[in-house]
Amino acid sequence: MVAGKSQSLFKDRPIKVLLAKPGIDGHDRGMFVLAKSFRDAGMDVLYAGLLPTPEEVVDTAVNEDVDVIALSLMNGAHLTVFKKVADLMKKRGITDIAIVGGGTIPDQDRPKLARMGITGNYGPGTPISTIVEHVKRRAEEARKRKLGLN
Amino acid sequence: MLDTGEIVSGILRGDPRSISRAVSIMETMPGSAERRKILEAIYPNTGNGQIIGITGPPGIGKSTMIGKLSLSIAQKGHKIGVVAVDASSPFSNGSILGNRLRMQDSLTSRNIFMRSLSTRGQRGGLSSTVWDTVTIMEASGMDKIIVETVGSGQADLDILGLADTIVLVLAPGLGDEIQAIKAGIMEIASIIVVNKIDREGAYMAMKDIQDMLAINSADGWVIPVIGTNALTGDGLEDLMGCMEKHWIYLHEHVNIRESRFKNTVAMDAKIQLDQIVQRSFQRALQGMETIPGKNGSPYDESNSIVKKTIESILKGG
Ligand code: B12
Ligand SMILES: Nc1nc2c(ncn2[C@@H]2O[C@H](COP(=O)(O)OP(=O)(O)OP(=O)(O)O)[C@@H](O)[C@H]2O)c(=O)[nH]1
Ligand SMILES: [Mg+2]
Repeated sequence: MVAGKSQSLFKDRPIKVLLAKPGIDGHDRGMFVLAKSFRDAGMDVLYAGLLPTPEEVVDTAVNEDVDVIALSLMNGAHLTVFKKVADLMKKRGITDIAIVGGGTIPDQDRPKLARMGITGNYGPGTPISTIVEHVKRRAEEARKRKLGLN
Repeated sequence: MLDTGEIVSGILRGDPRSISRAVSIMETMPGSAERRKILEAIYPNTGNGQIIGITGPPGIGKSTMIGKLSLSIAQKGHKIGVVAVDASSPFSNGSILGNRLRMQDSLTSRNIFMRSLSTRGQRGGLSSTVWDTVTIMEASGMDKIIVETVGSGQADLDILGLADTIVLVLAPGLGDEIQAIKAGIMEIASIIVVNKIDREGAYMAMKDIQDMLAINSADGWVIPVIGTNALTGDGLEDLMGCMEKHWIYLHEHVNIRESRFKNTVAMDAKIQLDQIVQRSFQRALQGMETIPGKNGSPYDESNSIVKKTIESILKGG
């Protein structure tokens, strides 16, 4: 048997991100911009398509064993819809996948989302590098959880 | 969650999180004790499913077809698993795993487990990761496992070699491409599909292919050529019928248990060897003499690297 000491789970696997708009929202331009930017930053990107339900988002994230779910909404429903995703994750005991958010999110909603564990929440005009850095940081946290390190 | 015992019992229960984490272990820890433990433990529960490779040029309609097919197959009472290989972008390290998007609706309506694998990111080589993933899916009770690849490159051909039934998807208007494909995959296809029959030239394309095949129908299996429209589902019932017929044909003509065993042995030995050789080779490379001429020609030095690699392997890596 080959010694497995030098190997660790997820080492060398690119960060894997699921992009999703889990609500009735047809603004998909931002999704494509983000998908390309994440890819160019070396990540593996999945796009859940338009109108996935929160259940579909969580199922997909689990099947694909992603590091980060990136939720985007421009329709103002983030407080209810993002929450549904976060609640589902909690209900299923999934703590090793991070959730980040973005879209048209008023400043006063950010702390509320953060309390649900949904961070970032960047809107129009945010430099892509800021977004990419944030996703990388959250992915690292998720990886540590996957490895049982915290 | 790296408790292999828990992962194994989860796989056998059909728990998606365990299946998924096990695949990640296969992806990123190809030579590890954990991988071995899981595969060893689930082995008794594997070997009964039909592995269906669906291959063909980019954009031909494979993912769309798999979405529709998996719905219909599920309706017949089967449990389905899907693995799709996405090519990485050659210009950056990342990739957009687009196959999933085309099947998403069917997947969710039937709770079908699907996993995308990118052409990099797994360290043991693509074919072994796909094989391990298929094995895990089988152990979890899936009996029809569909693998999507674009069918170009050695890794893809290796993967196809592992499938029981190989469906080659083409479309009208490929022209010269069909000639090129013929050389590689045509020989190993079990079924040929002409998708996008709503397009002009569909009839001619099917006839061309049938003519080509007339020359080489081997071992009693006559390769069917089926026209489909993956968007509407036209012809897919026919395709499913042929896949089922091929499965029966295999049971009558091939020792499936034995070929599965042989494939697994060869695949696993290769993963282990790759790991050992790579480690020793990389170490030998680090000790390379880089001053031109000091140890003779570059070919002398490369011989010495080969020798050092082999010596290091014999010493136990
Ligand atoms: C273009 C546009 C449209 C296009 C959409 C085309 C398409 N296929 O995407 C069309 C004309 C179809 C459209 C329609 C509508 N729109 Co409109 N639309 C816009 C507009 C002008 C620009 C959006 C855009 O594409 N930006 C460019 C992309 C690249 O940026 P982005 O989407 O903002 O994404 C970036 C960031 O937000 C961030 N980000 C986004 N998501 C995420 C997620 C994560 C995790 C992270 C980290 C970051 C992040 O990163 C992205 C890249 O930089 C905005 C106004 C604005 N300035 O934002 C209104 C806007 C979004 N639309 C609005 C509305 C109301 C509508 C309509 C309901 C009707 C209407 N009044 O026009 C319909 C609904 C359509 C539907 N089915 O959902 C409102 C939403 C108001 C609200 N939240 O309450 C806005 C804000 C305009 C306004 N001020 O009223 N729209
Ligand atoms: N007209 C027509 N279009 C089709 C048919 N099947 C698929 N398409 C379209 O062809 C395009 C590519 O389909 P995919 O299913 O992504 O093809 P693919 O072979 O999986 O592509 P890759 O994974 O990129 O190699 C999509 O726009 C489909 O809607 C068909 O039978 N007729
Ligand atoms: Mg595809």
